[in-house]
Amino acid sequence: MKTPEKELREALGTAVTFDPQILRTYDHDLGEMPGPLMAMIKHVPEVVVAARSVQDVTRAMAIAGSLRIPVTPRAQATSGYGGAIPCKGGMVLDVSGLDRVLAINAKEAIVDVEPGVVWEALSRTLAKAGLDNRVCPTSAPSSTVGGWFAMGGVGIGSLRYGSIRDNVIEIDVAGLDGRVTTYAGEQIEPFHQTCGTLGVITRLRLACRKAEAMRPASVWLPGADQVARFLAQAEAQLPVYSACLQSSGYCALRAEADGHAPAIAAGFLITLAAPEATLDEAELASLAQAHGGRVLGQAVASREWAERFYPMRIKKIGPSVLVGEFYIPLSGFAACIKAVQAALPRDVLGLEAFAVRNGSLAVLVYMLDDAGALLYPLRMGKAMIPLRLAQRHGGRVYASGMWFAAERRKLFGPDKFTAVARLKKRLDPHDLLNPGKTGGPGFPFLPFLSLSRLIVIGTAMIAPLSARLPYKRSKTF
Amino acid sequence: MTNKIGASATSNAEELAHAMDTCARCGFCKSVCPTYPFGGGFEASSPRAKVHFLKENQEGRAELTPEWVDRLYRCTTCERCQAVCQTGIPLVHLWEKARAGMVEKGLGPMPAHKKLRAAAAEFGNPYGEPSSRQSQWLLPEHAPVERAEILIFGGCTASYRMPAMLQSGVTILTRLGIPYAYAGGEECCCASPLLRTGQLEAAQELISRNLDLFARKGATRIVTPCGGCSKTLKFDYPAWARKLGKPFDVEVLHFSEVYVSLIREGRLKPRTRVDRTVTFHDPCHVGRSQGLFDEPREILAAIPGVRLVEMAHCREESRCCGAGGGVKANYPEMAAQIARDRVSEAIETGADTLVTMCPFCQTSFSQAIGELQGTIQLMGLEQLLLESVGP
Repeated sequence: MKTPEKELREALGTAVTFDPQILRTYDHDLGEMPGPLMAMIKHVPEVVVAARSVQDVTRAMAIAGSLRIPVTPRAQATSGYGGAIPCKGGMVLDVSGLDRVLAINAKEAIVDVEPGVVWEALSRTLAKAGLDNRVCPTSAPSSTVGGWFAMGGVGIGSLRYGSIRDNVIEIDVAGLDGRVTTYAGEQIEPFHQTCGTLGVITRLRLACRKAEAMRPASVWLPGADQVARFLAQAEAQLPVYSACLQSSGYCALRAEADGHAPAIAAGFLITLAAPEATLDEAELASLAQAHGGRVLGQAVASREWAERFYPMRIKKIGPSVLVGEFYIPLSGFAACIKAVQAALPRDVLGLEAFAVRNGSLAVLVYMLDDAGALLYPLRMGKAMIPLRLAQRHGGRVYASGMWFAAERRKLFGPDKFTAVARLKKRLDPHDLLNPGKTGGPGFPFLPFLSLSRLIVIGTAMIAPLSARLPYKRSKTF
Repeated sequence: MTNKIGASATSNAEELAHAMDTCARCGFCKSVCPTYPFGGGFEASSPRAKVHFLKENQEGRAELTPEWVDRLYRCTTCERCQAVCQTGIPLVHLWEKARAGMVEKGLGPMPAHKKLRAAAAEFGNPYGEPSSRQSQWLLPEHAPVERAEILIFGGCTASYRMPAMLQSGVTILTRLGIPYAYAGGEECCCASPLLRTGQLEAAQELISRNLDLFARKGATRIVTPCGGCSKTLKFDYPAWARKLGKPFDVEVLHFSEVYVSLIREGRLKPRTRVDRTVTFHDPCHVGRSQGLFDEPREILAAIPGVRLVEMAHCREESRCCGAGGGVKANYPEMAAQIARDRVSEAIETGADTLVTMCPFCQTSFSQAIGELQGTIQLMGLEQLLLESVGP
């Protein structure tokens, strides 16, 4: 009888490894979680498959299905939600090597790609056909199409084109039976934001836009109320492709990290991008003025646009960063931000947000910290405060992954939540596909409590204490 | 007991430890690393995994195994990773410090690097060539003087293997009547191959001898055609001079900096038309290391008839030739494939000539063009310029 190791080696050859040193490089993502928390899950895989073809994926999936090996799909792991971290060991199926652009249809402005295609590389390839990505994350230089779709999210271009979900037309998904199924239209919804808990995506068809040179423009606005009103009007009146918002606190952190003067000293900075020659600068100036703001010089706008893929520069002075992330309707933004500032008065808050089609924002609240510090686990509670306050103002969680798996119902809404649960039961009755990401990793003796639930409850409990523990940098390098 | 990389090799260990802490794990480095694709597609070969490993190793949670030593040597020090790093981690400095630490512990360097060290110790150059052959590249029209403001530093690759750039560059100076000194037979390897591979002790000996030579020659400007030499002389020598207590009050210039100044001053006037469609390869240690991106393009623009078509990856995003950091010596197949990929990118532009300004890159591309049976011609910027300057 073949051992699982032998079977995998025979089927996948050099694409599979059991080398403990390599396995350990797959036990984390962007997030800096405390060791004791990680010790509660089996986050080091027992085997890694670096797929180089769809056939590698289907072979690995078929073996995992037949031998009941948990499978954690992973691309570049550029999220901090734990969605690509195993919690039951098993197999990590690394699809970052599936990075081919399969077909470009310039006439219909669509492209078929493998899941490991990196957004920035795709943009370069599409440019040759006169096309470009409609949306992309700020991590575009490394993050992948499949990974972003599986996590869900918004970013550059979302003011005009919505989320990644809104721009995916069709997907192929490999199941535990080793077969690939094509899903289109509404059928693809359950696979969005679910981190491969229903199958491993092997192809995506994306809608593209005509490649156009973008002209950035930066606007200063005095307060959050003005920001909300300005963005609502800008979406309705201006041909804006993308809008990124930064607080003066964030600008100060960035400036310190980059060694230049902050773009603004107070209020908010909005950097818009619109196709060249479509933006009426007089109209923009008039709109900014109507909300008590003004258009800043082109040098600021150009720098901000050029730096759009580098939001984590501030980590240079951290050395770590706590991040609270949430969606909020524009109508609740000002009240939410005031509440967040009031709840965390002792920290320098850096706020960055992306405007999303139909009047909402995806907000990131950054707080510097040091993951190696003794009090870091306690201070982590601060990261949950912005989300909790946002929820009071109509906001919701940004993504689920592993750490927020217990919040899935709120993220998905009841209909999708039910549909996903039904599909999960049918496609993966033994919970092999990315286990722990449906409701959070469970505890053997406390089946009613998941790690995710524990984090949600625990951070809520320690949040008042966390808020009283500002991070003081001991050294500036 | 965890086998930690030696800390004494890192004089600024605290700063490097902080830099490692700031790693955002974004993977931008992974996307651009020329050697990552040769690691079987596994994360462990990515720069971000190496940073994570070094941090784990420093904190006693990961063992330095021969496999990790090998991974840490599979780096061309091209600096693409640190050019895209979100938090500005000086990654190449980190790799070099790690390598020095591994050498200190007796876990490095790799076998081919030891041969470089042995050759350098015996002959003063890593090619094992007798010093009597060092000035063989000099042409009859060249007229070095004993002492001059400019001291030509030929570098080992240009002197012993790929002399065209060096010859052309010196010919231009000669024809312009600019005096220069040259210490053929006395010049040692700049020590770049040893510094990049962590062999600091052996490097120190060569650097010390060169510092003495520079002092003897009384040069105020050292001019070299080599990317690696110019980077090393510019950025490594000042610190070594301080450490060794030797003077090094000189300006180091890559040839391109000299030509561009001469063109701007009107002393160098390319007149003869050179009808070529060229693409330019930015050598890593000239471009990213020294920020010399505009200078070569300004020179090309000054040559009548030359039409520049850029490769998809150029300037700060330029791809590596695959040779640096001791990779060509110890991992020749990987280096050759990286060079072929770069040459293929050059061919894709439709250019008839691939121009570069580093003899080390030229060596790699020369081999790659042969392997690809490409018709694209390979030229040094100096050669192209000389064609236009004429006799």
